[in-house]
Amino acid sequence: MVKSDLTYPDQRVVTDQTKANLQPRRKRRTHRHTWLLYVVLLPVFGLLALTNYYPAFSGIYHSFFHWQPGYSSPFAGLSHLKDMLADSLWWQSFVHIGEIFVWGVTLGWIFPLLAAELIITLTSRRLQFIFRTLLIIPFAFPLVVRLLIWDFLYDPNNGLINKVLHDVGLGFLAQNWLGNPHTALLSLLFINFPWIASLPFLIFLAGLQNIPAAIFEAAALDGAGRIRRFWSIDLPILGRQFKLLFVLAIIEVLQYGVASQILTGGGPNYATNVPVLEAINAAFNEDRWGYGATLGSVLFLLILLLSAITLSVRRRKPNEKDLASAVN
Amino acid sequence: MQSTKLLGRPRKNRRRRTQIIVASILSLLAFIGLFPYLFMLVTSLKTNPQFYHSYLYPVLPFHFGNYVAAWNELEPYFVTSAVVAISTIVGSIILGSGAAFVFARFDFFGRTFLFVLIAILLAVPSVTTLIPLFLFMRDLGLLNTRLVLILPYIAGSTILTVVIMRTFVEQLPAELFEASQLDGAGGFRMYWNMMLPLSLPIIGTVTLLSIVGVWNDYFWPLLTITQNNLRTVPVGLTYFQGQNSTAYGPLFAGYTIASVPLLVFFTLLSKWLLTGIEGGLPT
Repeated sequence: MVKSDLTYPDQRVVTDQTKANLQPRRKRRTHRHTWLLYVVLLPVFGLLALTNYYPAFSGIYHSFFHWQPGYSSPFAGLSHLKDMLADSLWWQSFVHIGEIFVWGVTLGWIFPLLAAELIITLTSRRLQFIFRTLLIIPFAFPLVVRLLIWDFLYDPNNGLINKVLHDVGLGFLAQNWLGNPHTALLSLLFINFPWIASLPFLIFLAGLQNIPAAIFEAAALDGAGRIRRFWSIDLPILGRQFKLLFVLAIIEVLQYGVASQILTGGGPNYATNVPVLEAINAAFNEDRWGYGATLGSVLFLLILLLSAITLSVRRRKPNEKDLASAVN
Repeated sequence: MQSTKLLGRPRKNRRRRTQIIVASILSLLAFIGLFPYLFMLVTSLKTNPQFYHSYLYPVLPFHFGNYVAAWNELEPYFVTSAVVAISTIVGSIILGSGAAFVFARFDFFGRTFLFVLIAILLAVPSVTTLIPLFLFMRDLGLLNTRLVLILPYIAGSTILTVVIMRTFVEQLPAELFEASQLDGAGGFRMYWNMMLPLSLPIIGTVTLLSIVGVWNDYFWPLLTITQNNLRTVPVGLTYFQGQNSTAYGPLFAGYTIASVPLLVFFTLLSKWLLTGIEGGLPT
C-alpha cells in the first residue's frame, strides 16, 4: 500500500478513503469488545494488588501502629517517626550510604568513562568489540558469586590481598579487612574494582559511540586535541546519561544492603550498617514490625523525593553553543 | 582519520604508538577486572594441599571431582531457582504482553490512568513492600513454598514487561495493524501473529532481566524460605559457603557452577539488551 502511494499519486485518494473507512470500524470493534480489554488487564491488576498495592498501603498504614501481627495493633500515632528521628544508628546508616553514593558517582564513573573513552580511541572495530566484551564479562556473574569471591579476597588468612601483601614485603599492611571497623566500609566500596563491568560503562560507551563522526572530524580539523575533545564535546553530550545514572544511583544506594549483609552483616560495630538492614533488623530480629514498616516507607518517600528533585533540575543541553566553543 | 593522510608519516607512527598504549591500558584494566574469576576457575580444580602449595598458579592433576562434590550440594537450589525463573518468565510474558498490547493498541476508558498505576510501581523499592508482604504471605501460609517466590517475581517482571513492551509496540507502524485488521484479523490474531513475533527483541530483554532478577535477589528468599532444599541459588550459595569455608576446591567449583546459567543467558540474550541501551534511553 505504501508503494502504491508513491507510484500512483491518484490512488492515494483511495488509500485515504480506506483509512477513513477503517477508523470508525476499528472504533466500533473496540467499543463492542471493550469488556474484553478489561478481562485481559484483570489478572495483571489482581496479581499486582496482591503483591504490590496492598503491601505498600499496608506498610504505610501500619507505620502509625504498634504492629503486632496476629493480634490487635494499638495506634502509635507519630511515635515511630519520633523514634526514627532519635535513632542514632539510623542516621549513622545514612552517613554510610552517603559515602557509598559519593564513591559510586565519582570513582564508580571515572573508571567506566576512562575505559569507554579508551575504547572509542581504538581505530579497529574488532578490538573495540573484544575489549568491550572482556571488560563487561564480570557483569554477567551473579551478584552473590561476585560478593563471595571478594569475601574470599579479603579473608585475613588465605585471602588473596593479604597473601600478595606478604609476598611483596608489605606484610605489615595485611589485616582483617572486613573485621576492622576502620577498613570494613572501604573494603565494601572496593568490591568489583575497577568497577568497569557496570551499567555506567555500557551507557557511556553507547553514548560516545552514537556521537556522529563528523563532529570529531570537524573538531580535529580545527585543531582540538583528544583532551580538548573530551572536555568540550564528549562530556557535554553525555549530560543526559549522567542525569539518568545519577537518579539510578540514588535509587540503588537507598536500597544498598546485600553486600553488607553477606560480607559483614552490617558490622563490625555497625561500621557497615545501612538503612535496609536497619529496617529488616527492626522487623525480623526485634519484632518491631511497625517501626520496620515506617523505615521502609520513609525510604520509599526519600526515593520519590530525591528522584523528583534530580529530574526537575534543568539540564543544560549540549546545544550549538557547546559544539561551537568546542570547535573554536 | 583524514588528517593522518594530510600530515604524513611521523603522525602515522605516533598514531600507531597511541593505539598500542591504549590497547595495553585496556588489557590491564580487563585483566584486573577478570582476575578474581580466573582465580576462581583455577582454584576450583585444586585440592587443599595443592592450593596451599601453589596459591596462584594452576597445578596438575586437575580435580574435576570438586565439581561433582559441589553439584551434589547445590542441586536442590538449582531446581528451585530454575522452577522459579521459568515460571516467572512464562507468567510475566503471558500477563505482560497481553496488557501491553491492550495499552498500546486500543482506546478505552481509564487507559492512561491504569497504565500510570502500573508504571508507578517501578518507583516502589522492594524494602517498602518486603515487611508487609512477608506478613501477608505468612498469613496465607505460603512461607517455605515456591509460590512465595514466584508470585512477587511474576508481578515484578510483569511491570517491566508492560512498560517496555507498550512503548515498543506503540512505535510499530499503525499501518501494519490496520492492514491485518482489513484482512479480517481479530484482536487475538493480531496479538498472536503480529505483536508477539515483532516483539521478540523485547521478549529477549525481559527474559534476561527476569533471570538476572531471580538469580540475584537475596533478601526476599532469605526471609521467606528457611527449608534448605527449597532455597534459591543466591541464598543457598551463602549457606554452601558456610559449610565449605575452608574446602577451597569445592567452594570455588560451586561458585563456578552457580555462575554458568547467567553467563549462558547473557551470551544468548545480551544482544537484545545492548540494542536497547544503545538504541536510546528514556530522558
